[in-house]
Amino acid sequence: MTDAPRRFDTRDIARIAVFAAIIAALGLIGPIPVGPVPITAQTLGVILAGMVLGAWRGAAAVAVFLALVAVGLPLLSGGHGGAGVFVGVTAGYLFGWIPGAFVTGLIAHSGRGRLSWWRVALGGVVGGILVVYALGIPVASLVAKLPLDAVMIGNLAFIPGDLAKIAIATALTMTLWKAYPPVFGARRERALAARTAPAAADATDASAR
Amino acid sequence: MSTAEERAAPGSNEIALDGVAVELDGRRILEDVTVRLAQHRIAVIGANGSGKSTFARVLDGLVRPTRGTVRVHGLDVARELSRVRAEVGFVFTNPDAQILMPTVAEDVRLSLRGSGLARAEVDARVDAVLRQHGLGDHADAPAYSLSGGQKQLLALASVLVREPRLVIADEPTTLLDLGNARRIGRMLIDDLDAQLVLLTHDLELAERCDVALRFHEGRLVEVGQPADVVRAYRREYA
Amino acid sequence: MIALYLPGRSILHRAPAGVKLLALLALALLISLWPHTGVTIALAGLVVVALYAFALLPPVVLLRQLWLAKWIVVLMVVTQLVFLTPWDALVNTVRVVSIVLLAALLTLTTRSEELLAALETGMRPLARLGADPRRIGLTLSLAISMLPVVAGIAERVRDAQRARGVRLGFRIVVPVLVLALRHADDVADALSARGAD
Ligand SMILES: Nc1ncnc2c1ncn2[C@@H]1O[C@H](COP(=O)(O)OP(=O)(O)OP(=O)(O)O)[C@@H](O)[C@H]1O
Ligand SMILES: [Mg+2]
Repeated sequence: MTDAPRRFDTRDIARIAVFAAIIAALGLIGPIPVGPVPITAQTLGVILAGMVLGAWRGAAAVAVFLALVAVGLPLLSGGHGGAGVFVGVTAGYLFGWIPGAFVTGLIAHSGRGRLSWWRVALGGVVGGILVVYALGIPVASLVAKLPLDAVMIGNLAFIPGDLAKIAIATALTMTLWKAYPPVFGARRERALAARTAPAAADATDASAR
Repeated sequence: MSTAEERAAPGSNEIALDGVAVELDGRRILEDVTVRLAQHRIAVIGANGSGKSTFARVLDGLVRPTRGTVRVHGLDVARELSRVRAEVGFVFTNPDAQILMPTVAEDVRLSLRGSGLARAEVDARVDAVLRQHGLGDHADAPAYSLSGGQKQLLALASVLVREPRLVIADEPTTLLDLGNARRIGRMLIDDLDAQLVLLTHDLELAERCDVALRFHEGRLVEVGQPADVVRAYRREYA
Repeated sequence: MIALYLPGRSILHRAPAGVKLLALLALALLISLWPHTGVTIALAGLVVVALYAFALLPPVVLLRQLWLAKWIVVLMVVTQLVFLTPWDALVNTVRVVSIVLLAALLTLTTRSEELLAALETGMRPLARLGADPRRIGLTLSLAISMLPVVAGIAERVRDAQRARGVRLGFRIVVPVLVLALRHADDVADALSARGAD
């Protein structure tokens, strides 16, 4: 279960907008070496959006970020942006970020009670790698007119970096669950409701701050 | 329980709380606040964490009370939220958090979205309010390029352009330098036509209001002449 | 936020954003689907160069865009040479790079605000599917104003950690997230108070 596709309220809108800005800010940090692999923090932000905000709000935050890139703000890692990046070889990966964040959030926030690290990590692997590649690889092969399996083999080089990213994103998400639980929204309230008396659950709902 | 006769009619200046309590995560943050206020300028003072902001947020429906009823100018905050929001303007402490649009004019314009005013009328009002607040030359400037004082002036402009009948200001001068704090303080206390609820740690500012409320550990402990309330508060920390 | 837009007075600069967007779409489809010969691919390249000239942009702008596309060129040429003939590799690379340059031209000659407005207009039909284009527009503008705020938060956190002489690596993201999301809750209150519900 996840937060339903209801109308976003002002709190959702503010979190979506701020998370889009967070994804942009993570692009300002250059690639960080983790062991032998340099990791761009921006895709970390995309996975985090799903893990923290859940399916709908997470995907919306990524979509807002990409819209800002599309209208000409140089927000992609390395100062790239503009309509050009959406017609290049890597366009499929960029578009794939949206369903990627959605599926990440769907799996990460499934289940009841506390957030469990293995669901979060699984969400990252399925949403952040499988879904993104499922869009990225065919588009790359189509645009570059290359055989599908060739692109797929080329992608293998990125898997170790992606896995490291998911490990980091999972650790960050579990820390955030303790450091600032309200942001997990409906997810957090259900966990509280499962744990405490109905009256206390009412109070949390009223505040949700 | 108040009867229909006791209730202030819409259009009145009365703020009425009846047995209002707020609990968050099982903690009592506001306890049994009952008060009726119709003065023009209302100061709210008290130590950090005493419940001032929670009280203010209850008035604008930003926090829903666990118990009790809140009526602002005759409107039930729980039932008539959108009318309350049209009646009330809220100035927050941190200007960064209340400037919502990329440029100065756009931010003011946002306040008039859905107001049903014609485009020309919107432009005229935005222009006028920006000039009143000394921001006439900055209409198309990016909001983040303003100084802290200018940002708070913009926040005030964006609130006042809606012509609220009640302005709630939660420590609007705390982050400003002396000059800007005086300027904003004067605009709120001396120049505002609307009713004012001013939360502040600046006791001199509080003394210039018509009535003062003091909160202590989530309770409203004193309502009275600002000079008296401030004196009692000072004595406590002497 | 510094956009990629370059101010100018050419016809391309003054054309409506929506028209340019549709023209870009049409040209991109044409170039990518056409069964290219040597002549047509050269023509595609020429059209792109001519359009840049038409936009009265200095040649250095085109060169800079080409330089930005260098990774696409390297990636395409290297991988294509493995699987295809050198001629096909060349045609495919020129094809992709010209489309990328065309899209860049849209960005260079159109203000972000105009594209945002065109986007909002383009989304109007979505209203029937239950989306609210005005709320989407509000969210986009809000995100733009949050860019400098979040960047400022990140900078403050980094400085604070330097001052304390600690290096957190990726863990620096946690305080940035907490501060930024707490800021989001304040922003939500301001939105509600201003009747944006
Ligand atoms: N969303 C919340 N969840 C839990 N506790 C809260 C929440 N909001 C406020 N509190 C607590 O409620 C108490 C009163 O807070 P409030 O912000 O109303 O105080 P205040 O008088 O405005 O203080 P200050 O002068 O510091 O602004 C504080 O102890 C605060 O920690
Ligand atoms: Mg306060």
